[in-house]
Amino acid sequence: MSTLPFIIRISSLCRFYTMGDQTVKALDNIDLCFRKNDYAAIMGPSGSGKSTLMNILGCLDTPTSGRYELNGQNVAEMDDDELARVRNREIGFVFQTFNLLPRLNCLKNVELPLIYAGIEPEERLERSRLALEQVGLADRITHKPTELSGGQIQRVAIARALVNRPSIILADEPTGNLDTATSHDIMEMFGKLSEAGNTIILITHEEDIARFTRRIIRLRDGKIESDTEQ
Amino acid sequence: MNTSLRQFRYETTESLNIAVYQIRANKIRSFLTALGVIIGIVAITMMGTAINGIDLGFEKSLSMLGYDVIYVQKGSWSNMGQWWKYRNRPDIKTDYAEDINRIITGNPYSQLIVAVPQMSTIQASARYRDRELQQIFAMGTNQDYTLTASGDLSDGRFFTPQESAGGEAVCVVGDDIASGLFPEGHAVGKSIRLKNHNVRIVGVFKKQGKFLGLFSFDNQAIMPLGAFEKIYGTTPMVTIRVKVKDEKKINEAKEELTGLMRRIRRISPGKENDFGVNEQQAFKSQLDPIKNGIAVAGIFITGMSLFVGAIGIMNITFVSVKERTREIGLRKALGARRRTILLQFLIESVMICLIGGLIGLGTALSITFAIQNLLPDFPVKFSPLLVLASLVVSVTTGIVSGLAPAVTASKLDPADSLRYE
Repeated sequence: MSTLPFIIRISSLCRFYTMGDQTVKALDNIDLCFRKNDYAAIMGPSGSGKSTLMNILGCLDTPTSGRYELNGQNVAEMDDDELARVRNREIGFVFQTFNLLPRLNCLKNVELPLIYAGIEPEERLERSRLALEQVGLADRITHKPTELSGGQIQRVAIARALVNRPSIILADEPTGNLDTATSHDIMEMFGKLSEAGNTIILITHEEDIARFTRRIIRLRDGKIESDTEQ
Repeated sequence: MNTSLRQFRYETTESLNIAVYQIRANKIRSFLTALGVIIGIVAITMMGTAINGIDLGFEKSLSMLGYDVIYVQKGSWSNMGQWWKYRNRPDIKTDYAEDINRIITGNPYSQLIVAVPQMSTIQASARYRDRELQQIFAMGTNQDYTLTASGDLSDGRFFTPQESAGGEAVCVVGDDIASGLFPEGHAVGKSIRLKNHNVRIVGVFKKQGKFLGLFSFDNQAIMPLGAFEKIYGTTPMVTIRVKVKDEKKINEAKEELTGLMRRIRRISPGKENDFGVNEQQAFKSQLDPIKNGIAVAGIFITGMSLFVGAIGIMNITFVSVKERTREIGLRKALGARRRTILLQFLIESVMICLIGGLIGLGTALSITFAIQNLLPDFPVKFSPLLVLASLVVSVTTGIVSGLAPAVTASKLDPADSLRYE
């Protein structure tokens, strides 16, 4: 078992939604920790609460109760602007639907988080280029997303997630829109990034994708069913 | 430079880029949206131009009356609506000028310099050989008239004290009469026919233009009082023109003149004046409410058109926010704060309004130039203040109409927005 420091500590965390007169317990009293350099997959059937957990981990949503510590800061009590800052500095997102802006070329897409971080233009370009190099797209930097394949687009998105050197990379079904071969390529890319020292948490419902990771957390009905290292 | 300032600068640049992209990507939509502002700004600037023009024409007319001249007449200019009150008053006599002059020359403290009599016709005609002008004004006065009137001579001279005293048949005519009867020039020295008399032209006035667009100084034939009475007889249209020493003390001068007139007319104390003591200020106070009325009505109407324009922009910005919900979610996920998103949409709506405002200004400017060239008498004046005002109005419209959609956008939940289809 790793002895690296904890990056994420979640304790007694709940997230309830009110739908009409019913309360849905999307997350029910969860305790969960991630260490630096973790490479974990969160699995579970739909409705198990994995998207809610992802949103909370990504600071896109705040818990109803409980504690969420990210790098020692209690995120559960932050306001919108502080959350935006945390998302910008600490978290790199990779989405199932890629979410690149089609009008911008790869370099400009990757650069976006750095604009919100207030980084100077020259440094932005340099870092974006490096990130694209890291995902093997050094020769595609001036291409627009429409000129790229699905796998390439997702690699641009990964470069965008990496560019501001976040504490964790959160990937929500990153291979959900890709064919098997490309999915495996992308997972190998995550593997390499993990070896390079990045902390990666991804959501998937495909067992063969989860097998690429070192830790699998299974959710059911808002609770953790199992948490195993492999 | 500290980080948050730098952040603000880069975010603003990014917002400008997005706005430019969006406007270019949706050219027709942006143009239609801006059309409301274009129409509003054209309306506002044309309105302002017209008001400026009225002001200008007004000032020009009033300066023809002279700021240092008081006019004694039967009626008062400040209550022109109540002419029936003046109708039964005794006529003003040209002799009053002499009476006034006699008193003021004996008083070293008088605020008045000289009084000049003036008698005129309502309408007269002038003829030279086979040319005839129907719409002229004939006026009899004395050699001191030039002290109380604006307008220089373009040719010849004014009549002399001797000609005035002798009532000789000489006259000084306005530019329209000179050019109307003598298109080839050289009016001075020629004799024109006024009623059944020959009158020799000794001088011609420079062109002055119309007074409030009603009455032209260029249609006047001015002659010695004696000559006037010989030709036209005595008319009741008499004015005593009185020049004052200091136009700043015109109110003191008016009081002094009122006192003199009461003495001359032998009005017992306690009785009302039966004459009017007028100066150009009276016109101003008559016309200011009209001008203000036009301005208020104009601002209301143009304000309505801008308001409609603003609603259009608000509507389209709401649509734009809806369309770009996912993008807003993504930007928030990548670290955009509320104010970043707010600014992004505000900049977009302000930019549309500003472009609309500039197009509107350009249009208004062209219309103004067209009017100036096609209708030189129509008073229009474009001022730099108007340019500034319409730019301020455009930006304000942009902010006002963009604010509600921008706030909506900035408050969108990032997790929901990212899932928005």
